[in-house]
Amino acid sequence: MSENSIRVMQNRDMGKVTSKQRFAKVFALGGTYLFLCVMALIVLFPFYWMLISSVKSLAEYRLSKPTFWPQVLLFSNYADAFSTANLGRLFLNTAYVGIVSTILSLFITIITAFAFARLEFKGKELLFAGLLATMMIPGELFTITNYITVSSLGWTNTFTALIVPFLVSVFYIYLLRQNFLQIPNELYLAAKVDGTSDWKYLWKVMVPLALPTLISITILKMMGAWNSYIWPRLVSNDEAHRLVTNGLRNAFKDTSGEVNYPVQMAAVALVSAPLFLVFIFLRKYIMAGVSRSGIKG
Amino acid sequence: MKIVLQNLTKAFPSRNKKSSEEVIAVNNFNFEIPDGKLIGLLGPSGCGKSTTLYMISGLQKPTSGRIFFGDDDVTELSTENRGIGLVFQNYALYPHMTVKQNILFPLQNLKGEDKLTKEQMLERAYQAAKLVQIDQLLDRKPSELSGGQQQRVAIARALVKMPRVLLLDEPLSNLDARLRLQTREEIRRIQQETKITTVFVTHDQEEAMSISDMIVVMKTGIVQQIGKPQDVYDDPANLFVAKFLGTPPINVFEGQVKGGKLYIGSDAVLELTNVADQPVTVGIRPEGFLLDDNGPLKCKPVNVEVMGRDVSVVSTHEASSNPFVRSIINADNKIDIGQEFVRYAIKPHKIFIFNKETEERIYFEVK
Amino acid sequence: MVESKQQWKAWIYLAPAIVLLLVFTVWPIVNTVRMAFLEDYSIAMASGGEASFRLGVGNFVKVAQYQDFLVCLKNTVLLCVITVPISTLLALLVAVALNSIKPLRKTLQTIFFLPYVTNSIAIGMVFAAMFNIVGSLGTRRPLIQTVGIVNNVIEFFGGSYVNWINNGSSYWANMFVLIVYIVWNALPFKILILLGGLQSVNKQYYEAAKVDSTPRWRVLWRITVPLLSPMIAYVVITGFIGGFKEYTSIVGIFGESLGPAHAPGRLNTMVGFIYDALAQHHQGRASAAALILFGIILIVTLINLQVSKKRVHY
Repeated sequence: MSENSIRVMQNRDMGKVTSKQRFAKVFALGGTYLFLCVMALIVLFPFYWMLISSVKSLAEYRLSKPTFWPQVLLFSNYADAFSTANLGRLFLNTAYVGIVSTILSLFITIITAFAFARLEFKGKELLFAGLLATMMIPGELFTITNYITVSSLGWTNTFTALIVPFLVSVFYIYLLRQNFLQIPNELYLAAKVDGTSDWKYLWKVMVPLALPTLISITILKMMGAWNSYIWPRLVSNDEAHRLVTNGLRNAFKDTSGEVNYPVQMAAVALVSAPLFLVFIFLRKYIMAGVSRSGIKG
Repeated sequence: MKIVLQNLTKAFPSRNKKSSEEVIAVNNFNFEIPDGKLIGLLGPSGCGKSTTLYMISGLQKPTSGRIFFGDDDVTELSTENRGIGLVFQNYALYPHMTVKQNILFPLQNLKGEDKLTKEQMLERAYQAAKLVQIDQLLDRKPSELSGGQQQRVAIARALVKMPRVLLLDEPLSNLDARLRLQTREEIRRIQQETKITTVFVTHDQEEAMSISDMIVVMKTGIVQQIGKPQDVYDDPANLFVAKFLGTPPINVFEGQVKGGKLYIGSDAVLELTNVADQPVTVGIRPEGFLLDDNGPLKCKPVNVEVMGRDVSVVSTHEASSNPFVRSIINADNKIDIGQEFVRYAIKPHKIFIFNKETEERIYFEVK
Repeated sequence: MVESKQQWKAWIYLAPAIVLLLVFTVWPIVNTVRMAFLEDYSIAMASGGEASFRLGVGNFVKVAQYQDFLVCLKNTVLLCVITVPISTLLALLVAVALNSIKPLRKTLQTIFFLPYVTNSIAIGMVFAAMFNIVGSLGTRRPLIQTVGIVNNVIEFFGGSYVNWINNGSSYWANMFVLIVYIVWNALPFKILILLGGLQSVNKQYYEAAKVDSTPRWRVLWRITVPLLSPMIAYVVITGFIGGFKEYTSIVGIFGESLGPAHAPGRLNTMVGFIYDALAQHHQGRASAAALILFGIILIVTLINLQVSKKRVHY
């Protein structure tokens, strides 16, 4: 076969393959987008339904043919929801518990991670391995005894019971220690030469350098307070100390019958709003924190 | 401020847990560093030069021996109380602080009567920055600086406390070749302006030779030789020092002293006195060769590398310990590679002989 | 590097964490095991500690014979076994699809992450609303005002409405709602992890596959899945661990009655069982159940690890 004829054959093959391939490619790409959009709609639909239901009148909500855009925007549902579920009180309680426990927890996490990353002491490796081992045990196993402990300490129906048992998170200590270990040793030696104490080095150098991790921890911890349900229900479920999730569930106990769904949806939207706001502004840190931690709140 | 090292020894516990043997990183180091000089600690990696530096800094404690700054015994003094500045190999700048904050940082730790006002600190920081010529960069972050600029910031940070002693750990190793030349001149200039006793560590002999007032050559924790760079180069104490200093490196041959003559292979290159007959190792500096049609050393030429002012002749010799013998000759000489042999005469002060066993220098007189 | 003899300093830094861990982590482990193996522990507590403390496995026997426990165990296992594969597969498809597009990727990625930042009780209430039939069911003549948006969609496509969660609804209708909600809730984390894994896969493998003109499904099955196998193993294991602790999503949809009006408690899970026992001051029973839960999670994790050791391709 002459060189020429080979080239001709190649050209013809190429032409055929590309037109066929192009079709397959467009088809596949279209399919991909279609799939993603359908999935995205499924994911978004509950949010959409929550929002439009929250501004419908009860009569409109009960129409046998649903409306996908409310006929009248009834924002008073939100005011009703706020008072029905006593959301103001719940928000304040939750914010208090969230902020106090986050600050204390960050402080303990920082100093503990620092000791494990930087200081030398006997039994360091063993102690750290022991800490990591506790991560395998499901939290429910601790809850039983902690409930007894908290009761016998007289902490029932106090904020203390909601804050103190969860101040130490082995996982956050682990996360931060790994971050601290990445900081070059020379920085520590340089600080030593400059006469910097361990304490000052920790707060002036290590903490600023580990800031992204600390922000992730802060957000996850706050989300935890916002979403916690089981433990608060056990130990502090009185009016003065109730947290937002419990309050929400308590205020709308019934799932069927004559429930005022629009008001309920307005309450749900109000409770969800802070989380969404945090997500919008700090998406990067949340996603980074979650992909490393794999824990919800 | 002179620094005196007295029987300084550092032993590390062995990595291998089963053996109780210790690794001696620095062995019985004695040296008096004169005030206001620039000293280079030189040696291959693992020779103990960095350990010595860290012991002077106080970051590591000696196993035995004493360290004096002037007349003060600082052996037990902690790092921050020694009044030293230390520049790390990777500069160790705080990445989240600006250049200014980095330089200010050591000043903010001063306590008691050393405490400075804000204005004094800023003034000192500005002066230090000016000295290393980075006063235009004060508001940048380290990541926005080139390697050379980071190096200067690190030096400024070390100098701002007005240390009694300045220590530099491999200060040039992270820079590219051109910056390295420039920066080493810079270090020399800064040292001469501040007159601070300065010790730096390097594995690059050229770097050490070019800027040091004195060099200390070390090997496996033991000091091999101390002296002015030129003296050490011209008069190496042993084969290791001779081999370690000089680019291109010294040529080494198997040789023999017999009947008052020094033989390299079968070539009798030199007549000498007061050396007993024995096999020896011979070192000849590349610049010690002279083209001479009647010269005693016969080499087979392989290649000629033109270096401008000089040419480097690559040749072989049967008694050479290395594959090639390298000589540096004035470019005016014409060498024909085609010829079977080049003949060299040897400059007597560029040839050294060493004991074959101990590798210690054997001194001789030319007849 | 710096030789400090001040060991006590480290212990000062550690002190707060150690004290709290001893009280709220170490002691609970010891105490839970102790309570689980003591007979009549809670009765002993109630009568002022005078009763004899006998060791035994009575609590475990009681738990295992308890009808409620078996219901809880069945619900938990069913939910795990059904939701983990579905959510993993869907997440894998979404992640692969997301990874193959350029425009809109960031937006879609954000949308798919949204369910993560929600309160599972609150959004559970939204799901309940979507599946809820407003009216009076279970009476002779049901009076229905609206069948709910999900049933509206079914009727739009010509089907007839289903009683999902209301009075008189069937077990599997309830389960279906739970499965949909749990999968919806589990997707974001899995997509995030799998997409992260995909983005670190070397593009050259795909170029090579393209040169060989390998069909798409084959690329997915023979290249992507094996290369992603460590991440897949990770999301499956964490999915099972999370699945065995499922509780709040059920509270979200059915409220604290944990079932439709005619059958409260029908959808309770292991965690729910533990808390119920605790609320009724049966500490021994709760401890035994918690240990059983721990044992199950441990075994499932070990099996998963064993399987993935064989299947994970590096």
